[in-house]
Amino acid sequence: MTEPVAILSGIQKSYQLDAVTVPVLRGVDLLIRPALFTVLLGPSGSGKTTLLNLLGCIDRPDAGTVTVAGCSINDLSEDALADFRSANIGFVFQGFNLIPVLTAFENIEYPLVLSGMPAARRQKRVIRLLEAVGLSDRARNLPGQLSGGQRQRVAIARALARKPRLVIADEPTASLDTQTGSAILSLMRRMQESYQISFIFSSHDRSVVGAADDLIVLRDGVIQSIRRKPFDQTERP
Amino acid sequence: MTTWSLAIRNLLRNRRRSVATLLALAIGAASLLLFGGYIANIRYSLQSAYVRTGGHLQIQHRDFFLYGNGNPTAYGIANYHKLLQVIRDDPVLKDMVLVATPTLQFLGVAGNYEAAVSRTVVGMGYVAADVKRMRAWNDLHVRLGQDLAPFRLDGAPPDAALVGLGVARVLLLCNALKVANCPKPEGEPQVTGGRSLPADVAGLVEATMPSVPDGLPAPGGSARIDLLVSQTRGSPNVASINVLAAEGQGFKELDEVLVMLQLPQAQRLVYGRSPPRATSVMVQLRHTAQIAAASARLKILLAAFMPEQKLAVLDFELLNPFYVQSIQLFNTIFGFIFALIGGIVLFTVGNTMTAAVVERTVEIGTLRAVGLRQANIRRLFLAEGFLLGCVGAVSGALLALAIASTVNFAELTWLPPGSSEPLPLDIRVWGEVRMIAGTVLGLIAIATGSAWLPAYRAAKLKIVDALRHT
Repeated sequence: MTEPVAILSGIQKSYQLDAVTVPVLRGVDLLIRPALFTVLLGPSGSGKTTLLNLLGCIDRPDAGTVTVAGCSINDLSEDALADFRSANIGFVFQGFNLIPVLTAFENIEYPLVLSGMPAARRQKRVIRLLEAVGLSDRARNLPGQLSGGQRQRVAIARALARKPRLVIADEPTASLDTQTGSAILSLMRRMQESYQISFIFSSHDRSVVGAADDLIVLRDGVIQSIRRKPFDQTERP
Repeated sequence: MTTWSLAIRNLLRNRRRSVATLLALAIGAASLLLFGGYIANIRYSLQSAYVRTGGHLQIQHRDFFLYGNGNPTAYGIANYHKLLQVIRDDPVLKDMVLVATPTLQFLGVAGNYEAAVSRTVVGMGYVAADVKRMRAWNDLHVRLGQDLAPFRLDGAPPDAALVGLGVARVLLLCNALKVANCPKPEGEPQVTGGRSLPADVAGLVEATMPSVPDGLPAPGGSARIDLLVSQTRGSPNVASINVLAAEGQGFKELDEVLVMLQLPQAQRLVYGRSPPRATSVMVQLRHTAQIAAASARLKILLAAFMPEQKLAVLDFELLNPFYVQSIQLFNTIFGFIFALIGGIVLFTVGNTMTAAVVERTVEIGTLRAVGLRQANIRRLFLAEGFLLGCVGAVSGALLALAIASTVNFAELTWLPPGSSEPLPLDIRVWGEVRMIAGTVLGLIAIATGSAWLPAYRAAKLKIVDALRHT
């Protein structure tokens, strides 16, 4: 049996809004299966981003445990968590979040620099990723010189650079037009399949449902439904 | 790509802000260095002046400095010739000492009886040839306000003298000595119409002084004055001396009182027929940095060769408190200006870095999300502060060098307080390695330090809050 890439158990999370405590997640239990494309669906304010933040280990729950790639993150220090994210998790943000002073090549290379990978290996891998996202000719362009779709492709390549166990994509198509958004979705699906990495893709748009292996619907901080594709009997329990 | 290359690119991102910050830093650094260069020149000028006239070290009776000013008979150095010989023969001092020469300092009254004027004076007896050599000392390469006139006592007759400009004015010797800026004073005393020295005093002069060699100006000429001093055991002694010239001493107080004589003449006046003494042996070294070593060696020699006399070795800083006080004053002003400019740099760089953190909050969140540690975020902003400091301070140093060169090239002059002659306005930045390094490193440290708080705050940002920042 292949272990789940992430397990959330009894997760509760609330935010302080001035003097008011706003509960965002209310006792979420969830299992993310490995090497699948999981779509997290829900309206705005349903807690999708908070759930992804916890899965991405950039936030900690008020209660409950988060286990990602076999590691319980609750007790990790900030530095240990940073190292853990660097090795195991990739991020694709709605606003692309590329570093504006770095070229497309350097943005993709940056996580590899943090990992201490030798320059020659870094270069090979970045070139391969640029080819995979169709941006070989834009390697030297700064983010400001790229279109929205191109920037998101660079962000996807950056997320995949270290071959993480999990890629968190928080509404990655929300800032794109429909056509570009659907192209990005196809690219992510393709990359997920070719790299065999778990993708968790959040959206409030029901049109992305078709791309999902697993579909999790979140509403008002609780999981409303989970629909999973049947396991391959030869590989999965 | 390293933290440094990322820091450089971030600084270039908002060029206008970075340039404004760099300008503040550069102007601050340049101002500090120019003022420091100005102070350095004053320090060197003062030091050179004191070393030229009094040497680096003086050997005196241990109480002469505090008590002996008016009493050369009680505090004179007996057998000073032996001391000079010991110094000249010593193998350790040989490479350090340029000049070792005796002097005799005394108080007296100088009178121009023809003009019916007199005044109290400080007399100095010198070995003129030695003083001439001492005046040539310029180890600190100070540009002189006017070409140093040769020491006119050198090669002059035994009764020759030089006086300060003020002495010449008060004794109404301006015409005879061709002293400029000498207007006729209000209440000028009546000239006695050629009445000479009273007979009893004149007799005393003739009894104690050697005859004047042939070919010299006749006694009683317009540049002759009479000098009255208190001799051993309190008896008065008078000499008629021939004033060759009036010399500016650089300080009005000295100009008003100084009379310089040949050492033998001064010794005859003070000690009469008793064995002559010197109140000091001035020692001029090749370099000021040799003071400690030379002083230590002299103390050993004094203990070994002249144990019977209570002699002390004093350096020029101790002998000239004005020098030390002036340097301390200027250093205090420099420190105050450094604190002001440091404060400006602190707030300017701090403000720039705070603005950068606010602008790049989402970026900070992204970097942290992809695995950059808090310490690396801190390092990134500190690197930006450090780079601003480096570029700003080094640019300021270059700017200061350029301005200093321009000012020095223009050969401007200024009149220092207490001085009677204008001095060259030199700004010595070039070669002042310690000052440049101290200022540049100090400003870099302040710039880096001022980035610390914004860097700390950036590192402490919660990732989710940073990513949500709009």
